[in-house]
Amino acid sequence: MTTLFYLLGYLAVVGFIVLAVLRLRAYRKASPLHVRWELYPVPHEGPKANYGGSFMEDKEWWNKPRHISHWGDIKAILTEVLFLHATFEHNLKLWFRTYPFHFGMYMLMGGTIIVFLSVILQFLGVDPQGGFMTFVGNVISAVVLVGSFGIVGGGIGLILRRRADEGLKRYTTLEHYVNLGSFVLFGLLALCAWAFNPSYFDLSCAFIANLLTFNFEPLPSCFFTLNLLVGFLVLILIPVTNMTHLILKYYMYHDIRWGDEPTNYSEANKQAIGKMLKFKTTWSADHIAGPNGAKTWVDVATTNPAAPKE
Amino acid sequence: MKDNLQLKDVSTAEGQMVSIDLKDIPRLPLDVEPMPWRPLTDEQKENTACILDEVCVLNIPKPKSREEEEELVNKFLNGMRKLFTTENNWTFLPMLQTSMDNCVQCNSCSEACHLYEMSGENEMYRPNFRSEIFRRIYKQYVKKEPLAKWRYGDMGLNWKTVARLGELAYRCNLCRRCAQTCPIGVDNGLIAREIRKIFSQELGIYPRELHERGTMNQMKVGSSTGMTPDVVKENVEFIDEDYTEITGVGITTPFDVQGADIMLLHNAGEVMAWPENIAAFSLIFQEAGLSWTLSSKAMAYDGVNYGVFYDDAQTARIALQHMMAAKELGVKKIVIGECGHAHKALTVIADRVIPFEYQVPRESCYVTLRDIVVGGRLKLDPSRNNFPVTLHDPCNAVRLMGIVQPQREILHKIAPMFREMPCHGVDNYCCGGGSGFAIMTRNNIEEWRGNISGRKKFWQISEAFKDCLGPETKKYICAPCSNCKGQIREILEHNDLYSKNSFAYGGLVELIVNAMTNVNPGFIKWEGEEE
Repeated sequence: MTTLFYLLGYLAVVGFIVLAVLRLRAYRKASPLHVRWELYPVPHEGPKANYGGSFMEDKEWWNKPRHISHWGDIKAILTEVLFLHATFEHNLKLWFRTYPFHFGMYMLMGGTIIVFLSVILQFLGVDPQGGFMTFVGNVISAVVLVGSFGIVGGGIGLILRRRADEGLKRYTTLEHYVNLGSFVLFGLLALCAWAFNPSYFDLSCAFIANLLTFNFEPLPSCFFTLNLLVGFLVLILIPVTNMTHLILKYYMYHDIRWGDEPTNYSEANKQAIGKMLKFKTTWSADHIAGPNGAKTWVDVATTNPAAPKE
Repeated sequence: MKDNLQLKDVSTAEGQMVSIDLKDIPRLPLDVEPMPWRPLTDEQKENTACILDEVCVLNIPKPKSREEEEELVNKFLNGMRKLFTTENNWTFLPMLQTSMDNCVQCNSCSEACHLYEMSGENEMYRPNFRSEIFRRIYKQYVKKEPLAKWRYGDMGLNWKTVARLGELAYRCNLCRRCAQTCPIGVDNGLIAREIRKIFSQELGIYPRELHERGTMNQMKVGSSTGMTPDVVKENVEFIDEDYTEITGVGITTPFDVQGADIMLLHNAGEVMAWPENIAAFSLIFQEAGLSWTLSSKAMAYDGVNYGVFYDDAQTARIALQHMMAAKELGVKKIVIGECGHAHKALTVIADRVIPFEYQVPRESCYVTLRDIVVGGRLKLDPSRNNFPVTLHDPCNAVRLMGIVQPQREILHKIAPMFREMPCHGVDNYCCGGGSGFAIMTRNNIEEWRGNISGRKKFWQISEAFKDCLGPETKKYICAPCSNCKGQIREILEHNDLYSKNSFAYGGLVELIVNAMTNVNPGFIKWEGEEE
């Protein structure tokens, strides 16, 4: 049984990575170069970003060097990810519920990274009972408490909101409840494990050390074991449900909403356009297929379906 | 008809699914009365699938047998499958796919939509309503996700679903204001356009104004207006003569000047409906001493590209011809006239569709005009524009291209009583005619534009002029986009706001010419003034 538990742990971690990579790969492969579809304000436009302006406001912009403020992009994405700025601005009632939920998630994600690094340090000889590790243990203890409360409170708030708001209710599916419910259960079990064990940090370190050394020892806490089992489920749910935005948001902002790079600035883009124009299209409408059926996009673009028939 | 509309109703409701009660439509400070819906004729009810609401854009033939019903559904599904392949949709697939997979249905986009707000928050107009139906069909029938019915609810797919979804794609102005608010980056405007593509590119179903009378006409005779090259040259010659007399300045619009610096690309609708706009451009460019020309090549004297509203193939074909004409003339750049969607189609969309070797740099006329006005190349007297002026921001040029300040720099220079609308710049609202509606007048589409889609714009206008509403003060609505002008004209005319409120509307160039000291005063006319 214990072995199965650890196998599920490996499966969850590997599964998450593989599914996340597949998601990213599918995005990258969807098009060698999609059309520009930017939406202003684009934060890397420097001072123009303050009012939503772009390089296209400049006379003969193609003769001017392109200035991209990467700091502008970083600032905007950090504001969005860390504070859920768009939800705050456009859906305040939801923000009061979703922000604690996301904040709690960030805390536990950050906590997991700290625990992982602590285990590595312990492998390298840092004393688990020493002052530094005690300090880290206290930090993790606080992080788990605050993070779990955030997830449970925010998660329950989101579920209730989806039940109460007629507009949201129409669009809420079983999957929403499964996702949110899994997180709430995960948070509740984390709180129980925190409350009924001497140190959540020690439990976490033991589990990660066992995982890294293939030492399939049973964990001493029932609550913690259940907490992890639900955690495995949550890890797999992220890339296969709409929670995949955790993985794809970067592209949806940087590559689509802010993707305003003019083609002539890139040789690779020119190559990509040539490749895409040679794709065969199978659209059936008369003005595309014509009498001879499938053809390439070059053929389509250079054919005039309204020209007099010869 | 459903009061408590649910997503599944799209496949189950009998007859007309939704009715917009005019009592629910917000009232405005301006005298803009709701227009009663005209009932569908018996012939329409019998033969067309007008089963969504009071409006009917696509006129999809009603299936007469089980076989025809199945054929419609199968064709739609085939199109949907193609839409999700790289070969058929390399242009938009990444955006579509991410919008399908990542929406968490938080409804943050709802409040941003002028249609949702001005329909009295009718559920059908929630930006996510159409998207979620499409998303569920995709997951259940195309992607065939495991346990899709259980996870998302069973979405029925029959001929009614298809017909209503097609119509739903045309209850959106594609202004993408909703996309601006999405915390994740989902784009409901894009989804509406992608659904339009399935209907056009696979089923051959489109609004006739966009296709037969739009892109196909442009490819057949040279312009969606029906003007041939000879006719357009002749008309512009008449415009030159007329406005030489009106302005007191000799105007000659050049055509086909080989090696000119600029090829100016007008929306040809201006030639027929707003000749003062053509004359004003010619006068400004001439007086500023620019080296410029129009093209008389078929398609290249008409900057419109209605393909961007519904069909990628048509978009590419027209954009290519615009570029080729400029290449043949050997100009250094194309300057796009006062037409928002022409800006977007040729500058942004064409950027990654037309191979670079065929591209000619494109510049917005707002930028060129800013250079002329702010650079002091014209003698201007701003006191000639001593009346309240407000500016409409065309979505395509502003929110979707970030061209915000040049037009304002001009107005600050020439219009001393310029004032912004609330929610201006990239936060603007669509005029209500966006994505092709400005040129459609049938099956309650006019009523829809007056009652719902154009209503928020008139709220903005009334707010901008709230200190001077009424017939006493002359006011100017500056709308530097042909389609937007068409929509604004319609509301002004229908509600008699020219005389009730002394509104005039027009572009940016008309205001510039109105301030030129070497031009006879009074280029802009208000109701009751002599032409």
